[in-house]
Amino acid sequence: MNVKLLRFVLQFSLLLLIVLVLPLVVGSLWVKVATSTIIFALAASGLSVLYAQLGLVNLCQIALVGIGGWIALRLNYATELPPTFILALAGIATSLISALLALPALRIRGLYLALLTLMAAGAFQILFTAYQFPNGGDGFWGVAPQSAIAARRPLFALTDEAYLSFTAIVVALGFVLVAYHRATLPGRAWAMIKQSEASAMAAGINVVLFKLWAFALSGFLAGIAGGLLAGELGQLDARSFIAGDGILLFALAVVGGVYSWVGAVIAGLLFKFLPALFNDFGVSTDLTMIVFGAALLHAIMTAPRGIAGQLIDTINSMGVRHD
Amino acid sequence: MLNALALFFVSGLAVGSLYALGGVGLVILFRSTGVLNFSYGAIAAFSAMFAWQLIQWGFTAPLAWIGAILAGISSSVVYGRLVSPRFAWREPTVKAISTLGYILILIGLMDFIWEDTLRKIELPTDKIGVLLLGVRITVTRIVAFVGTISAVYGMTEFLGRTRVGLNMRALSDNRNHAALLGIPVVKTETLAWGISGALAGFTGLLFANLVRLEPNVITFMVIPAIAAAICGKLESLSMTFVGGLVIGVTEALLTVYKPLAPLRSMVPFVAAGLAILWLQRNSRLIFATGD
Repeated sequence: MNVKLLRFVLQFSLLLLIVLVLPLVVGSLWVKVATSTIIFALAASGLSVLYAQLGLVNLCQIALVGIGGWIALRLNYATELPPTFILALAGIATSLISALLALPALRIRGLYLALLTLMAAGAFQILFTAYQFPNGGDGFWGVAPQSAIAARRPLFALTDEAYLSFTAIVVALGFVLVAYHRATLPGRAWAMIKQSEASAMAAGINVVLFKLWAFALSGFLAGIAGGLLAGELGQLDARSFIAGDGILLFALAVVGGVYSWVGAVIAGLLFKFLPALFNDFGVSTDLTMIVFGAALLHAIMTAPRGIAGQLIDTINSMGVRHD
Repeated sequence: MLNALALFFVSGLAVGSLYALGGVGLVILFRSTGVLNFSYGAIAAFSAMFAWQLIQWGFTAPLAWIGAILAGISSSVVYGRLVSPRFAWREPTVKAISTLGYILILIGLMDFIWEDTLRKIELPTDKIGVLLLGVRITVTRIVAFVGTISAVYGMTEFLGRTRVGLNMRALSDNRNHAALLGIPVVKTETLAWGISGALAGFTGLLFANLVRLEPNVITFMVIPAIAAAICGKLESLSMTFVGGLVIGVTEALLTVYKPLAPLRSMVPFVAAGLAILWLQRNSRLIFATGD
């Protein structure tokens, strides 16, 4: 069988499995865990685009997820727009904010960019803590002291199970968007910019535009992830968007592997699913941190393509043997 | 009002000294090994928790302080000796990111060993104070300030005048050339990790006393420390010192100005962000992938 076709069939059946079968077979707690897992997989895929295609380290993806969530919640309470439309708006607005924040940083790369994004993550953490997330109150910030009105979900995804299916489809579309970018014009432009900005420019590539484009795409995915998270949880808490988690998400994206969507899914699994699993087993979640730390060191030292790279190599070599 | 300002100024000066001290530890390590150690705060936190544990076990206070510094040295050298050499030929970003892994390991370890409760480290210097401009200043704050100044002075002299300091500077310029000249690379680097670890231990101890003894809080003290280090371009110890003090004092004084008071902890991030943008204002396109 053709390897490409085989890969497509595998990916499509995995999606069907998550959308149709998973919500039916797992308990209500695990439906929530699975939803969070794939939401953060989407956020991680945004990080991966920047790191894999351009070699840029972004430690404030969690903050962008928070911004997306904030916008989604604010629109959800302030307007009667359908939640799916709000989700798209949150994605677009976050992508604009991400590009805008990146604008002064375009000349910066390497260590200083990582530091700048870390500072941005810290600043947003404090903003979120100071102003909190909208919960149906009045005014610009929309925060009421006591409120339990959850954000509206799309009418076809009111139950947790249906919302998981909805999330899986949105996340899959996000992955397709990333894959499309990698395979077409922006992907080629990014590859050239990563090698040398000056030669890319000499070859007629608009370096500023394509770098901004990458930040916008990454922000878009973070915004969508934030919007999905707002819908899943009903309300958001500033404690979920701390700078430390931004660092953790980046670390896990590298451990998972930044060159394919499989890596992003693995990052999501490590970020949300593994701690829940450890909790379920009664094992301390502190141990997961130690494992993650060691895994990050290992990934940077010996497996630059992460767990996903190793998995894909295995699958590909199997395909070759059967041809 | 003036008294309140003076009070916040003094407290800001003390906390700023700690940021500066952290920054100095980071700069010394960066200058000799090229590693920006994100796990510096985690090492400081581990040292402070270790000192607390020693006191709980009934050790006398001075022994606990020495314990903190030793814990800082050893946890820093463990990474510097076992892990860091494997990244020696990678670009600075990768070296910095790999220390994120060490943060996760140390945080996991601390949360696993010590349960999350309210803790305190009291130093005998807390009880002694001097009156200056109508404000009572504890000796601990003075120790933080004077300690930082001596660290900046001592380290500047050490790097500038001693043989080992020369070796460190040579290493940071070009590791391969330094090795070719016969400079003992591993020994020099280990020493840098040790010095930086000792400073981390000292910073952690004072931070636990002056601000809060909580692993996660001390771990992320590394961010203002990095902010201070950035003010010194990751190179100049004296500018790092000034940067740390300015950040600490601004942060403390904003408490008085009500509209911005909830955002005052944003000062380090904003300062560092602006400093990075300012430092990179003349940068040009890069022809290679290296940083």
